[in-house]
Amino acid sequence: MAEDTFEPKIVGFLCNWCSYAGADLAGTSRMRYPQNLRIIRVPCSGRVDPLFVLKAFQDGADGVMVLGCHPGDCHYQQGNYFAQRRYALMHRLLEFTGLEPDRLFVEWVSASEGKKFADVTTAFTDRIRSIGPSPLKRQPAAAPVLAAQEVTQ
Amino acid sequence: MTTMERQIRSAAQQLLANGQVSCVIGYERSPRGNVRPAFVYQAGDVDRLVWDCDCNLDLVTYVHNFKTPPRRGVPVPKVAIVVRPCDARAINLLIYEQQIKRENVQVIGVTCTGTEVRGQQRLACSLCHERVPVVYDVLIESDVEPDLPVAQEEYADIGEMENWTPAQRLEYWTHEFDRCIRCYACRQACPGCYCFECVAEQVDPHWTSIALELPEKHFFHVMRAFHLAGRCVACDACEAACPMDIPLSKLNRKLAKEVEALFGYRTGDDPRTAPPLATFSPDERLRM
Repeated sequence: MAEDTFEPKIVGFLCNWCSYAGADLAGTSRMRYPQNLRIIRVPCSGRVDPLFVLKAFQDGADGVMVLGCHPGDCHYQQGNYFAQRRYALMHRLLEFTGLEPDRLFVEWVSASEGKKFADVTTAFTDRIRSIGPSPLKRQPAAAPVLAAQEVTQ
Repeated sequence: MTTMERQIRSAAQQLLANGQVSCVIGYERSPRGNVRPAFVYQAGDVDRLVWDCDCNLDLVTYVHNFKTPPRRGVPVPKVAIVVRPCDARAINLLIYEQQIKRENVQVIGVTCTGTEVRGQQRLACSLCHERVPVVYDVLIESDVEPDLPVAQEEYADIGEMENWTPAQRLEYWTHEFDRCIRCYACRQACPGCYCFECVAEQVDPHWTSIALELPEKHFFHVMRAFHLAGRCVACDACEAACPMDIPLSKLNRKLAKEVEALFGYRTGDDPRTAPPLATFSPDERLRM
């Protein structure tokens, strides 16, 4: 894929109570944000097992966003605190294994922050577009090369 | 027979003869000369037990085989385990995670002077300053005065890799993971990996396929390391078990370094403190 036509695939895990409502607000307020984002609604940012992020990268995502409620605002009191610890470590581990640190993005977006949602999505998509495709993407199988003999026959 | 072996054998003999435990888990030499785990059920068999620098397995892994009663109406069997200082931390971890009860395990602690893999002292041992296990019932005193390792920076090699570019690190790990045959020996050797059904083999939900491709191998190794984040006791049994010599301990030590820096936590100091990912503090704000 040529560099200028590269359109990143981005998976976003959005907390139902804050960030998903924030995305909804961005939509109803007619704000523009890139279509590269595939939103997955989850009950809480604490529900986003780091396995989800790994699975997304394994299956070809170029970037993953995890958006949740601001600390102290979690619908379940503590889910985002657990998420914070988890992603602090996960980010550093992914970085250590050679993934560009920018490919994972965790942020707090509340239900009233439609503008912030549109802004972070746009900024994140632009960043991924400039980094290029994920190195973990499955390479398409090479076309079988015919032996010279077979070609002549 | 060294004096340490004599002490281990007499401790095992006593525990079995008194009926305090039904099995002693220790090390023995195989007919081919390798060190392997030994399960001694009879007081007369304790002479099989050995202890030397080749004892690089973590025997706490095998305590998972004695967690449930062998049949209904019978109590959970009591076992004795020969542990090194690193393994003793795994005992504390498993007690915290309610996998074992302290009263069901007799801990034969060994004053460890370091172990080797194929004649080479292991990195984990060359950095380890711990001689006496954090938990024990019987302590086996060392007969030699251990020469303590020269003071060196614990995470020097990790720090060096952090200075590489992401592309260099990716190349390094692609090269290392490429050899993985997904035999799961690292998982089996680990005292902290005890799920009944591992996500690497789960079919519903199907997290990862059995393909030997880079995305799957990356998934497996990052997942394995992350499941041990803040739980790894740095016994390096995974790396010793790996038939392809993948430097798995680098992933574990990277996480241990971050856990120490962020939360000031070290696994297994005591059986009551929660590992960092099992708890939180409302005031902290971490870079994510």
